[in-house]
Amino acid sequence: MSTSAPRSAPLASETPAERRTAPIELADVSVMIGGQGGDGTLTVSDLLGRYFRQRGLYVYTSRNVLSRIRGGHADASVRASREPTSAVKAQVDVLVAFDQQAIDLGRPELAPHGFILYDSTSFRSELPNSAGFPFATLVGGPLGQPIFKNTAAYGALSVIFGFDAALTRGVIEDRFRRRGAEALDKNLKALEIGRKAAQEAAGVADRFSVVEGDAHDLILTTGNQAVALGFTVGGGRFFAGYPITPATEVMEYLQRYLPPLGGVVRQAEDELAAINMVLGASYAGARAMTSTSGPGLSLMTEGIGHAGAAEIPVLVADCQRVGPSTGEPTRHEQSDLAHLAHLGHGEFPRFIVAPADPVDCFDLTIEALNLAERWRLPVILLLDQALCQNTTTCARFELAHAKVDRGARLSEAQAAALEEYRVYAVHEDGVTPWAPPGTPGLWSEVTGNEHDEWGHVSVDPVNRRKMMRHRMEKMVRAREELPAGRLFGPAGAKIGVVGFGSTSGPILEAQRLLAARGIASRYYQARTVFPVPAHELDPFLASVDAAYVVEHNYTGQFANLVRAALPWHHAKLRSILKYDGASFRAPEIVAGIQEAR
Amino acid sequence: MPARSAKPVQPIWCPGCGDFGVLAAVKRAAANLKIPTHELVLVGGIGCSGSIHNFLEINGIHALHGRLLAQAVGVKLANPALTVVAAGGDGDGYAIGMGHFVHAFKKNASILYLVMNNETYGLTKGQASPTSQIGFEGNVEPPFHAILTALSVPAPNFIARTFSGDPKAMTAILEEALRFNREGRGFAFVEDLSPCVTYNDTYKLWREKVVDVQTLPGYDPTDRRKMFGLCLDQIDQGRLPVGVLHRPADTEREGLEVKLLGERPGPARSAIDVGSNRAQYEKLLAALA
Repeated sequence: MSTSAPRSAPLASETPAERRTAPIELADVSVMIGGQGGDGTLTVSDLLGRYFRQRGLYVYTSRNVLSRIRGGHADASVRASREPTSAVKAQVDVLVAFDQQAIDLGRPELAPHGFILYDSTSFRSELPNSAGFPFATLVGGPLGQPIFKNTAAYGALSVIFGFDAALTRGVIEDRFRRRGAEALDKNLKALEIGRKAAQEAAGVADRFSVVEGDAHDLILTTGNQAVALGFTVGGGRFFAGYPITPATEVMEYLQRYLPPLGGVVRQAEDELAAINMVLGASYAGARAMTSTSGPGLSLMTEGIGHAGAAEIPVLVADCQRVGPSTGEPTRHEQSDLAHLAHLGHGEFPRFIVAPADPVDCFDLTIEALNLAERWRLPVILLLDQALCQNTTTCARFELAHAKVDRGARLSEAQAAALEEYRVYAVHEDGVTPWAPPGTPGLWSEVTGNEHDEWGHVSVDPVNRRKMMRHRMEKMVRAREELPAGRLFGPAGAKIGVVGFGSTSGPILEAQRLLAARGIASRYYQARTVFPVPAHELDPFLASVDAAYVVEHNYTGQFANLVRAALPWHHAKLRSILKYDGASFRAPEIVAGIQEAR
Repeated sequence: MPARSAKPVQPIWCPGCGDFGVLAAVKRAAANLKIPTHELVLVGGIGCSGSIHNFLEINGIHALHGRLLAQAVGVKLANPALTVVAAGGDGDGYAIGMGHFVHAFKKNASILYLVMNNETYGLTKGQASPTSQIGFEGNVEPPFHAILTALSVPAPNFIARTFSGDPKAMTAILEEALRFNREGRGFAFVEDLSPCVTYNDTYKLWREKVVDVQTLPGYDPTDRRKMFGLCLDQIDQGRLPVGVLHRPADTEREGLEVKLLGERPGPARSAIDVGSNRAQYEKLLAALA
């Protein structure tokens, strides 16, 4: 077989006999677009997502990129569904490939009915159910540059899916209008080139049709953007961080949001400086946070311990990625939890809260700020790569529930009326009134040395016991105020599932798959993961015969924490674990549950 | 009637420690400038010198080892109305804190960084520090000269060196440094030569070796290049240059907090309740699609 010259004629490598007459109707569709970094795979994913959203579908997009600026394999996936979804679909319906590697990597995920659309400019494929068009060559002539091949591929996809022509064009107009008339014109031409090529080829048009949905007036966003917005609305006005994948976007969004509100965002020289700048700002009375990932978290550990000892409120968002060491910076894992639960030398209180989707990210960031300030301690916002960076269709963020609670902060009038100001005063409820430096009439000593109520250094054993109890008991006293978990599925179901963070998406989908097979399950989504919400988990575990703890790590970190907190439920706990850098697909969870039964 | 707040405690320092001179000079400079107690924040490092905040009637915060500059910058950016002093030793600043030290000049936040350099780790009983002479406790590495590093960063900072044996000159320099900060002009770095009477008693030696830079021919604190050469020459001759080493020629308000916030009150003094910001929040949320 000759593979020498690129072919300019369409390649439809199937016989007319294979041609289906009616399109396959999909209520849940997944398209994967692969190529080299710089091929514009994300643009194709974005255009498809825009189209599907206009058809009232829930959209979830994910990407798989290498830690490099250009080149290397990169792929993007877009899923559109009539049901709300926050998970990658297990099987790909259409694979778009800009090179052979994209086919090799994507094909194992292709559904039996799946179709491959590829750019045949530099290679050809003889696979069944595939069509190749030399997009780069087709656009390169009339438009002068091959880069418009991605828009041409979107055009061909619109034919494969039988998209509405006007809406398909409207998506291009929406996306490229702001880039100027020339860019818009060339993309519209590329669109038509792609459409024409696909329409003229045999057996390509109307392979699939995608149903309409009723998801309207929703937003498409990421966890990182939601955290940045939650921090802003929650009164956060100081951020210091250091660039690190997959946390950097939190800093980038805040660089846009905070300065117009009188806030400050600093990119520090390292994570040591970032956490300590945040501690300084918080001590001075600002609501402050940092965001980081594994390696940065390790560097911040001493500072977080200092916050616990010196009772300085701080919010740290940990966008977990594959670890340890540099690990896989762009890939997904939930393996920092054990470190966070036991983080630091010595003993100090901390709360770890874990949102599951962007709306939850927005709400819990605000709650975490309130908790940190009221209880004067570090709060960790436990995130993961899929939650941070994948985009999800979700409800608009509500200002109505947003509330800034500054705990026992003293007004200037209250401070002026004080007879004495003890910065570490121990009260029965564990909450200490405070006033920032600069408050007229008072000043204080704040230190990570063991100290008395005045902040004076002390090694007195009686004082040590008193201050240790004061700090550590915050984890007990605050229990009822910590974010409550959520339950999904019928009460009385004997199969329990436990998870946190972005695994909620695939777990909820797995519950639907199980229900379709007549298997009822009940899912407990932990939103506080430390201290372990034993008061919620105890009755939940008592109500089921077995509980499958689904998490992205090797050792079953959350299962181990639950086991330690509720040893009498030990025999019921089973782990479903994944640590290959990819997020769970729902059928993997279903299989995990069925195998164990 | 001010609330009764934390009272200063007795210094932990050995009798005769150079840090007593610094404590006295800081008190006098703050009093001369009439800085209200509640507006003064002292961020202490780890080591003998870093405990200075416990001995002053002041807002004191004890930072982690080496991280006092990061905390001090955070305090200043959160509330630019505060007068912020970071104070620590040579180990804290030039060893474990070196990364932040170099960046502090570049950041140019209007804080005073006061390093009490005794050329040893006193609190852990006399190990060699980054500024120790060759031969001290088996040290084979050449001493680090912070003033040369300071002069090498082209930023509008105030840079000076003092000697605990001359508290009058030190008070004048600290006053100038604090005024520089309070005018929002940027970062002030003052290294004080502060002998450790127990592990490295250099009083007599340093008194002989200090040289007031103002007495040197061609002294011009606005000329960074010339001052670097003058100091290097003195160091090569075994002398210890003291005095004002750099002072920007102009009086521009180039402090980081001024660049970022202008006349705005800063993160710690902004109204952060939802009601006060509703219109801006609604605009941010409406931009999501």
